[in-house]
Amino acid sequence: MLNSMLKEKRSAEIEQILAKYPPERKRSAVMPLLYLVQEEYGYCTDDGMREVAEICGIDPTEVKSVAGFYSMYRKHAAGKYVIEVCDDLPCVLRGADKFIDYAEQKLGIKAGETTQDGKITLTTVMCLAACDRAPMCQVNLNYHYDLTPEKFDQLVDELKKRDE
Amino acid sequence: MADLVNVTIDGVAVAVPKGTLVVDAAKKLGNDIPVFCYHPKLKPVGMCRMCLVDVGTPKVDPATKQVVKDDAGNVVIAWMPKLTTGCTTPVSEGMAVRTATQQVKDAREDVLEFLLTSHPLDCPVCDKGGECPLQNLTLAHGPGQSRFDYEAKQHNDKHVPLGDLIFLDRERCIQCARCIRFQDDIADDHVLQFFERGRHMEIMTLSEPGFDSYFSGNTTDICPVGALTSADFRFKARPWELDAAQSVCNHCPVGCNTTLNTRLETKTGGREIKRVMPRQNEQVNEIWLCDKGRFVHHYTRADDKLTQPMVRRDGKLVEATWDQAFGVIAERVRAAESVAGVIGDRIANEDAFAVARAVRSTGKGSVSMSPAISAAYADIVRACGVGAATDLKQIGKGDVILVVNADVEEQAPVWFLRLRQAAVDRGAKLVVAHHRSTKMHRYAAQIMRYEIGGIDAWVADSAKLLPDLTAARNVLIAFGDEKLDAPAARSLAQHLANLLIDSGHAGKANSGLLAMYPHGNTQGVFDVTAPMPAVAEAGVVWAVGVGDRADLPQASFLVVQDVVMTELASQADVVLPASSFAERDGSYTSGDRRVQRFYRALPAAGQARPDWWIAQEVARKLGAEWRYEGAGQIFADIVTQIPGYASLSYEALAKGEEQWPPMGRGDLYYGGTVYDNEGGLGVRYVAEAEVGTVVRYEVGAPIAALSGLERPERMLYQDGELIRRSHVMASHVVKPAVA
Ligand code: SF4
Ligand code: SF4
Ligand code: FES
Ligand code: FES
Repeated sequence: MLNSMLKEKRSAEIEQILAKYPPERKRSAVMPLLYLVQEEYGYCTDDGMREVAEICGIDPTEVKSVAGFYSMYRKHAAGKYVIEVCDDLPCVLRGADKFIDYAEQKLGIKAGETTQDGKITLTTVMCLAACDRAPMCQVNLNYHYDLTPEKFDQLVDELKKRDE
Repeated sequence: MADLVNVTIDGVAVAVPKGTLVVDAAKKLGNDIPVFCYHPKLKPVGMCRMCLVDVGTPKVDPATKQVVKDDAGNVVIAWMPKLTTGCTTPVSEGMAVRTATQQVKDAREDVLEFLLTSHPLDCPVCDKGGECPLQNLTLAHGPGQSRFDYEAKQHNDKHVPLGDLIFLDRERCIQCARCIRFQDDIADDHVLQFFERGRHMEIMTLSEPGFDSYFSGNTTDICPVGALTSADFRFKARPWELDAAQSVCNHCPVGCNTTLNTRLETKTGGREIKRVMPRQNEQVNEIWLCDKGRFVHHYTRADDKLTQPMVRRDGKLVEATWDQAFGVIAERVRAAESVAGVIGDRIANEDAFAVARAVRSTGKGSVSMSPAISAAYADIVRACGVGAATDLKQIGKGDVILVVNADVEEQAPVWFLRLRQAAVDRGAKLVVAHHRSTKMHRYAAQIMRYEIGGIDAWVADSAKLLPDLTAARNVLIAFGDEKLDAPAARSLAQHLANLLIDSGHAGKANSGLLAMYPHGNTQGVFDVTAPMPAVAEAGVVWAVGVGDRADLPQASFLVVQDVVMTELASQADVVLPASSFAERDGSYTSGDRRVQRFYRALPAAGQARPDWWIAQEVARKLGAEWRYEGAGQIFADIVTQIPGYASLSYEALAKGEEQWPPMGRGDLYYGGTVYDNEGGLGVRYVAEAEVGTVVRYEVGAPIAALSGLERPERMLYQDGELIRRSHVMASHVVKPAVA
């Protein structure tokens, strides 16, 4: 049977999200609900997507298709914090490629991988619309600009400390 | 026709109905504009760009608003600056289309070159090879060679089971979305979608079980490449090795037209059905089949297929010759006081007719049919069934479809597709009355729910529908006998017929009853045998094609004639091996009274013979003089003896007619791998209400449902002696709950 963890744990938020759309357009809530799934399970799990389908009254396959289309929905298990560094052309012109090299070296992983302790995932992404302040990255949903090795060290230390 | 639009394609003029797409207009002229994502049964999406053509419209002077003409008086065409997709462009008056310019040729080459950048080109091991639109179009329009690096091809998973019936080869998919659109727009099972995008895009399902749809097999027909293949056929044969015989599905009242692809097997030395494919009949199944019709065929070569007569000696069934078996039967029949023939409703008209004749010619025989319940109301369907000229495609706005006590998707899947389209796409008003939820409920404008066992309350209430029904242009009433006993089922049919009569729709084209009969020839067996209710007991019971059904009279001597060794057969005193439908010719009468011919695809298995031949030999052993040489001769007798069939002839049933849009073999890349209809479209015989006056029925027994609910709801994959013998269907078989 379908588990309903999301509904139990996040019912208030689900209600809030659903309230934004007319009841006969519940399917419009798919995208915000997918963010809940991602927060709750770390990524868009099949079961989480099935829950969303049930809440919205559509087929699970359709939910998964939405998650698949947008790159900011994670389809695989990731660390608690996901550092997404933009490596599109304008950012690279401002040194994003070298910055990524540094980030990989600092974390001891390659882009796309997760640290041993399961805390941090490093990935590269397409333009995040902050080209003027590159190198830049996004950690979960927060932006960090004008990155330097020092700033990155601070950021990582801070993330590691956050759950202690 | 008022709404015709004149267009010129490569200089050739053609008039087509308003709204026609450029690709279809060209098709009318035999000009095949190549397509991949376009499919005439699906809404156009313009995704693949294969159909790019040069389109222009008459040049209009902005000042005078007049069409500009050149010195010679010809209309000047204003060509669009770029090529346009012919699959999304509807024609307009005076439009000109060029499909053979260098620009168009270049575009076709480019699109194909791109499509093939990561295509594996593993045609030699691909199931679609030989009937593949991508192969054909590449040959016809491709560049011949690629500028892309062969080593740069992407490699993806080639054996992704979407469900247990359909496999995906990710490398071969060209992302045309035909499969997705079929599932969304036709089947309404939203279980296929794209996942990811760009070069990572793939087909995916998240349904449980995977690719959960009764219609999944159709996607393998319309997929323009070998990306979707069926568990049944993949790696089993090459298309060009297959012979094709025209056949008709006998599993439900729809009577879908099929093609049986067979091949000689070196392993067994025999011919086998390799796959069941649709055969285009726009009046019946268009180009669709349900998965039951497609995948159940394995019983035709089951290990326990009956190939030899058997008689019981010392408590055991032992092989015998035909003559010995006939001898034993004749002896017992002579000695018996009564003979009861019980005829299953999946055997052909000719078989049923001959068996009934043989039983009656004993002088002490009675004939009944199995399952018995349909016989309680088939006469009413014959009287008030849909009018002979009915065309489900015409049902739409202004019409009412009333569904009563029937689960159309479970009981007549392709009718479900067609009635759904009438309601959803063409605006017919759908009223659904049932004791539980069915898929049809999704499209209902009005839902009338009654308690299980409370259908009489609905009947009492149904008078309030009359004003709507009377006002409607056409009224179709689909009904079933779920949870009813025979008298109640009869009363329900009478009541529904009365609704047609009272609303003025009885005996009209596009109006009438549609019965959810249990099998493909229920109406036919009823018509040609004129069955009586089964007797309680008989000296000899002769059960023909009844499968495992247990509703037989008490017998002191049981003869079972069937295709496989059913449980019933294993208890018989004599077992007679009958040919399966694939081993002989004959005709079926579908639930909407369309009489259709099917043709032999396989040689007889062992000693097995058609039911009609067996029946006639039994009769002859008992002294009868009659003898038929073939099914056609029997049909000639049916025509003269069976009311309603008088206007038919075996030859007329085999007549074809051009099917539009053309989607068969000659147009491989257009519609998919459906077959042309060469076996005939069949003929629907006239309903009694169309020719005589119709008298309201005196409704008999009160329509109280059986309170004990002994009769389970009927499901498509319900366990039975045939589906059980198909290994690909094994995991789908359900035993419906009785309550
Ligand atoms: S699987 Fe076939 S039908 Fe579906 S998108 Fe791919 S190529 Fe088209
Ligand atoms: S809808 Fe009925 S007739 Fe058609 S393929 Fe399925 S079972 Fe056979
Ligand atoms: S290119 Fe990196 S944020 Fe725009
Ligand atoms: S874009 Fe017209 S056939 Fe695909």
